Amino acid sequence: MASSDGCTSLKQTSNTFLDNAHEALQDAGKVERRNLMAYYMHIVRDAAVDQFGHFEDLRQHVKQVKQHSLEHLEYYLNQFEQAALQNGNHVHFAEDGDQLNSIVLDICQQHSARRIAKGKSMVTEETGLNDYLKRAGMKVVETDLGEYIIQQAGETPSHIVGPALHKSAAEVRELFFAKHDLGERELADTGEMVSEARRVLREHFLKAEVGIIGANALIAENGYSMLVTNEGNGDLCANLPNVLIVCTTLDRVVPRSEDATAMLRLLVRSATGQPQTCYTSFYSGPRREHDIDGPLETHIVLLDNRRTEILASDYREMLQCIRCGACLNHCPIYAGVGGHAYGWVYPGPMGSVLTPLLTSLEQSKALPNACTSCGRCAEVCPADIPLPDLLRDLRHDETRQKLSSSRWRLGMRLHAWLARHPTLYHAVTGLGIFTLHLLGRRKGSFASLPLAAGWTSQRDFPAPEGKTFMHQYSAMHREEKAREHKAAQALEQNTKAGPAAPRRTAQGRTPARRNGTERIEPSLRVDWPRKPDPRKPSGTRPRREGDDSASGKKPAAHPGGPRGKKPRRRPDHD
Amino acid sequence: MTDSPRSRIFARVSRAQNEADATTIQRELEALGSAPTADLPAADISTAFLTNVLKNQGTVDCAANRSSAVKSVADYLYRHFRSHRLVAGNDPHLAAMPWREAGVLPRFGGVEPGEAVSLSYALLGVAETGAIVTVTGKANPAANNLLSEHHLVMVDSTRLVRDMEGAWERIRRETVKSGWPRGINFIAGPSSTADIEGKLVYGAHGPRQWHVILIGDVPATALEEARALAGQLNQGTS
Ligand code: SF4
Repeated sequence: MASSDGCTSLKQTSNTFLDNAHEALQDAGKVERRNLMAYYMHIVRDAAVDQFGHFEDLRQHVKQVKQHSLEHLEYYLNQFEQAALQNGNHVHFAEDGDQLNSIVLDICQQHSARRIAKGKSMVTEETGLNDYLKRAGMKVVETDLGEYIIQQAGETPSHIVGPALHKSAAEVRELFFAKHDLGERELADTGEMVSEARRVLREHFLKAEVGIIGANALIAENGYSMLVTNEGNGDLCANLPNVLIVCTTLDRVVPRSEDATAMLRLLVRSATGQPQTCYTSFYSGPRREHDIDGPLETHIVLLDNRRTEILASDYREMLQCIRCGACLNHCPIYAGVGGHAYGWVYPGPMGSVLTPLLTSLEQSKALPNACTSCGRCAEVCPADIPLPDLLRDLRHDETRQKLSSSRWRLGMRLHAWLARHPTLYHAVTGLGIFTLHLLGRRKGSFASLPLAAGWTSQRDFPAPEGKTFMHQYSAMHREEKAREHKAAQALEQNTKAGPAAPRRTAQGRTPARRNGTERIEPSLRVDWPRKPDPRKPSGTRPRREGDDSASGKKPAAHPGGPRGKKPRRRPDHD
Repeated sequence: MTDSPRSRIFARVSRAQNEADATTIQRELEALGSAPTADLPAADISTAFLTNVLKNQGTVDCAANRSSAVKSVADYLYRHFRSHRLVAGNDPHLAAMPWREAGVLPRFGGVEPGEAVSLSYALLGVAETGAIVTVTGKANPAANNLLSEHHLVMVDSTRLVRDMEGAWERIRRETVKSGWPRGINFIAGPSSTADIEGKLVYGAHGPRQWHVILIGDVPATALEEARALAGQLNQGTS
C-alpha cells in the first residue's frame, strides 16, 4: 500500500490559470457540484451569521484585536515563546519551507520514528512537508478525512476547509476499493465510507510515533495553541503519539485566550455555518507529572515564509486572514473553476492575494486578474480584509513591474494619459461611440469587435445609442440650467409685476418651491450628487476607517492604535 | 544575539513596526473591550445549555442528584448495549458516585482500544455553545474523550457558565493553583465530517454518540422546553 500512497505535487501552475480554468469547465459533473456547494454554503453561512445577532460588532472587535496583535507582533511573539518554553515545549523558528521541513524531519529521526499521523495543516501543504518526509522514508498519513482522500488520490486540496469537496462519493468509493485491501464490501453510502476510513486510520493513529498538527491560534498569555476540528482527528494526533509537532506560522499569535475564542465565533460560522465545531482544543505542552496519556515531547515550529515581508508591506491586512474559506465559497470565479485552477496551495480570493505574496508575483501574475471585482469576498470576509482592493493593488504592481503584457500596459498608459485630458477624452470617446452607433445601428449589436474578441466570443456587444453618458449628462445639466435661468427671470418679472402675474412663468406653470430651490422636472431628477462628492471615496469598497465608531457599540478608544494608521501606501517594492 | 533564523525573524518583525512598551500595549489591548457573545436561546441558563447540546446533535438527560445520575447512566448503557460496563477517569466526583445502586460497573482509568463507552465529569458546561469543557489529566485522560464510540458526560448545573469568556474566567480562577493543564477541550457534539460531498456523517474519528447528563437543580420544564426550542430553531435554520 505504501508505494501507492499519493504524492502531493507542489509544482506551481498559477500562471496557466486560464488554461487550468478552461479545462476545469469541461467536466460538467464537477461544475454542477461546485454550483451546488456555492449555493448551499451561502445559505448556511448567512443563517449562522443572522442567528448570532451582532456579527458585525464581533467582526470589528476581532479585526481590531488582530490588527493590534500584528502591530505588536514582536511583543506577543516573545511572550508566546516564553510561555511555550515554560510549558515544556521546544520552540523552533523556520524562515522558509525548507527549514520547517528539515526541522520536522530531524525531530522524527531523533526518535527513530517511521509512522506519522498528521492533522490538517495548510502550512505544511505550503512547505510540501509530506513529500519531504516521504522521501526520507517516513510513512505520513493524513488523518482529516478530506486530506486523507486527496492524499490517497495523489491530489492537492481544492478548498482550504473541505480539501476533497471536488470529489464525488462515487470517486471516493472507487478510491477506497483500490487503496484499502479489505475484500468484498458494499460501501453503499457516505456513512460506510466514513466508517471504513475511521477503521483504517484508527490503526494508524495507534501505531504512529509522531503526530503533526497545525494551529488556528497561538495564545501569547499562556503559550497554548488552539486546534479546531469537527472530526477529532487533530486531537487524536495531539494525544496518542509520543511526540507532537505543531507546525504553524507566526502571524497566528493573539494576546489572550478570550481572543482565540472570539475568533472561533467568527471562524466556525463563516466556514461551515456551525455555532461551534465539535472539538475546540487548547494544548500547552508535554504530558504532566501524573498524566496517564499525552505526548512525552512537544515541539512548536513557527514558520515565517515571507510573512514578515507582508507585515512590513501594504498587504499587511492579509495577515488578518483566519482561513475560514468564506471568500472561496462566495467567489463566482472560484465557484466556476474550482480550487485546482489556481495552481498552488491557496485558492480563491485569499489565494489570489497570498500566492503572489508567498511565492512571487511573476509566478502567479494571472491570479490577481482572476477577479470580477464583485466585492462579495470582502463583504463576507470575517477578518474584514479588503480583498478586491488588495487584488487591484497587485494588478497595479504587475503593471509597474512590467509583468503584464506590453500591449496591455500600452493600453493602460494611453488610457491614463487620455483620462488626464478630459476634453480630448470626451472627444475621443464621443467619436468612438458615435462610430459604433452608426455601424451597429441596423442590427442593434455586434457579434464581433476588433480588440474585444475575448468579450464578443461569448456574447454580443450592444450597439451604443449614439451619445456617451457624459454627453447626455451634460446636456441634461445644460437644459436644467437654462430652465432655472428662465424660471429665475420669470420670478424676477413676477416680483416686479406683483403677485398677480404667475401666468407669465415659463410654460405657463408656477415653479414649485422647495427649500428655496426649484424642483427639477420629474423626468430629469437624478439621484446622484450634482458634483462628485469628494468625501466619498471611489473604488470597489468603501474604506472603513471610521466604521468602528460609526457602526455602533465599540468606539475606537485608542487613538494611538492601529486605527489611526496611515492610509494605504502604494507598494513600493519593485 | 547570534545570527539564527529566530534572530533574523525577530529583526524583521521589529523593523516592520513601531516600538511600544508593555504598559502601552496592555492599555491599548484593554481599550479594545470584549467581544460580543452569541445570544442564548433561552433566558434560563440550564435550558439554554440543553438546547444547544441538542442542536449540536447530542442527547441529554437531567438528574436531580447523584443517585438519579447513576440511574440515568445505567439506563443508557442498558438501552444501547444491554450491559453495565463503562470506563471513567480517576475523577473523585465519579469515584464517589453510588454506582452499586444502579448496578453499573465502571473501570477507572483510560479507554483502551475497543472499549465502547466512556464517561467524563465535565469541569464546565458552556451555554453559549452547548459545549462541555474537560481538562486532560488523571481525572480525564484525553483518550476518554476520543476513543470510545459513546461519550457520556456529567455536568453539574452549578458548573454552567454563560459563554466562553465565562469559561476562561473560571479556568483561570480555579486551575491556575494546580498549574495550567496540558490540554483544555471544549467538546460540542459527536465527532462529525462533511468531507465527502458535503454530507454530514457522525462518528468520523471520535465518538459517534455524545450524551450529556445535567445534574442538580434544573427547572422542571427545562428539558421539555429545550427540546421544543432545539426543534424550533433547527426548523428555522434548515
Ligand atoms: S480572506 Fe477572509 S474570507 Fe477568505 S479565508 Fe481569509 S478570513 Fe476567510
